[in-house]
Amino acid sequence: MHPKISIILIEDEMNICNFIATALKTSDYKLTIAHNGNDGLSLITSQCPNIILLDLGLPDIDGMEVIKSIRTWSSIPIIVISARTQEHEKVLALDAGADDYITKPFGTSELLARIRTSIRHSNRMTIGNPLNTRPYHSHGLVLDFEKRIVSLNGTEIHLTQIEYKLLSLLAKNSGRVLTYSYIIGEIWGPYADDSNNQILRVNMANIRRKIEENPAEPKYVFTEIGIGYRMLEDEM
Amino acid sequence: MKGFVDKYKIFTQQCPRIRDWCTTILVQAAAIFLSSVLFYFVPENSANTALIQILALIIIARNTDGYFYGIFSAAVGVICINYLFTYPYFALNFSLTGYQITFLCMLTISLMTSTMTTHLKIQATLLAERDKLLMEAEKEKMRANLLRAVSHDLRTPLTGIIGNSTAYIDNNTILSDDEKLNLVNRINDDSKWLLNMVENLLSVTRIRTGTMKVTTSLEAVEEVIGEAMSRFKKRLPDTAVQVTIPEEYVFLPMDAMLIEQVIINLLENAAVHSNSNSPIIFTVTDLPDSVQFSIRDFGVGISEDKIDTIFDGSDYEESKTSDAYKGMGIGLSICKTIITAHRGDITARNHGDGAEFLFTLPKEEKYDAS
Repeated sequence: MHPKISIILIEDEMNICNFIATALKTSDYKLTIAHNGNDGLSLITSQCPNIILLDLGLPDIDGMEVIKSIRTWSSIPIIVISARTQEHEKVLALDAGADDYITKPFGTSELLARIRTSIRHSNRMTIGNPLNTRPYHSHGLVLDFEKRIVSLNGTEIHLTQIEYKLLSLLAKNSGRVLTYSYIIGEIWGPYADDSNNQILRVNMANIRRKIEENPAEPKYVFTEIGIGYRMLEDEM
Repeated sequence: MKGFVDKYKIFTQQCPRIRDWCTTILVQAAAIFLSSVLFYFVPENSANTALIQILALIIIARNTDGYFYGIFSAAVGVICINYLFTYPYFALNFSLTGYQITFLCMLTISLMTSTMTTHLKIQATLLAERDKLLMEAEKEKMRANLLRAVSHDLRTPLTGIIGNSTAYIDNNTILSDDEKLNLVNRINDDSKWLLNMVENLLSVTRIRTGTMKVTTSLEAVEEVIGEAMSRFKKRLPDTAVQVTIPEEYVFLPMDAMLIEQVIINLLENAAVHSNSNSPIIFTVTDLPDSVQFSIRDFGVGISEDKIDTIFDGSDYEESKTSDAYKGMGIGLSICKTIITAHRGDITARNHGDGAEFLFTLPKEEKYDAS
């Protein structure tokens, strides 16, 4: 039997702690709870968990500080818990090194899905290349990263260079949200003007017209308004 | 030269009395000059001299504040005519026949024009003030309606949550598992309803109070619709919606989160109030200056007497009937607030086979400077 996956939750609201604890217990994760940022940081350094769930609004220190401090020495996946209206805060957290976020209020299934995605991505990082070059498969959409071929239900789809780069970047990170500025940096380079994401969105509109049945109800690439894009999780 | 004119304008705006004096003296001088020229070249037609003086008088009375400048100019005019243009030249002679009548006529013209001008100015200020008051009243009314709708709409699901959970706690030992699950399910439904409400209210806080405007950025219409649809499907998974968007992608200036809220509210309204299972038709049309969003259902339609007030949230008092739970008062009035803040239009009508809600958003930010 392999050891249980350990999770540290940093959250000051008792009700939310209780609910997350119940949800994770039934899914066989090992959960440790810290009620403020400093306790959380010392727990993380002593236990080295597999995943960190972090509420941004903490009583003692700013959640952003927690992220920055963890990122100085570790790449443990961090999932940020935040309220819906604070897009700006979410973008800052993601750009500071958080892996993903979940919006309050959320259901158990949503939380578990986010945790699974994060674990998978962190495994991929440690194991290295073989998994990274395995094709992306989901609901009839296939991206073969070695042959650079995209096909939908068996028919090959023709994408431009940029469109292919964009789609494969999202596919390699499927299930995770990628911020506009991250995507622009990866595709157009570090000197691109990331304040103007129009070009990114025009490319995305073109991709959607090629792979989605109805671009207004996307099945593969979802928009998180004000934040970035998330691609449908790979079917492993 | 231009700089001098600008400085002059600023200076005169600050000192209206100096401006009035300048106007009076300039116009009067011009009139005398013109009269002199005419008098020199066509001395036989002396009627022109009087007409030019009267014209100058009207211009001065029209462009100055109060009666003083008009009367002053009338007096100067009369004296000038007497001194310069009537025999004996370059001498004052007030005993000329009919001269008193000329003076009286000019004085009357001056007084009447000044009175009219003053009146016009007073009316303009009054109108502006009334407009301002009306706008204030409108805002006040919107706020009051919103609060009334909120307190009603919040209390309803809370009653459900408190009632059902109390029933569960009090009867814990005698309830069957099915009954317990039923109670918890109802609590779950009510809290989702409550969440929707809170999100609606939160969205209103994004509209700047005072100016009633929003911070917009260019958003791709299809992305906003995509997100709205996925959130709507999470809330009401069984409702079928057919979405049609323009072939070309469209970017529009908007606050995406607010427009999403409008779309969700209208879809939910169509789903809950139409009493029909036919799919809702959601169409986006690209017009020359704006983009039109239309949400049609194929249900019972809107009763005629409510069409005009449906966005006011005002029919809250009377409609405490069975329909009042899940009432859309707050949702629709928030839609109106949001669309108005975007300088768009929202209307409701019956299309023969159900209800249709239409809203448009302008493509250009035609925000005025105020």
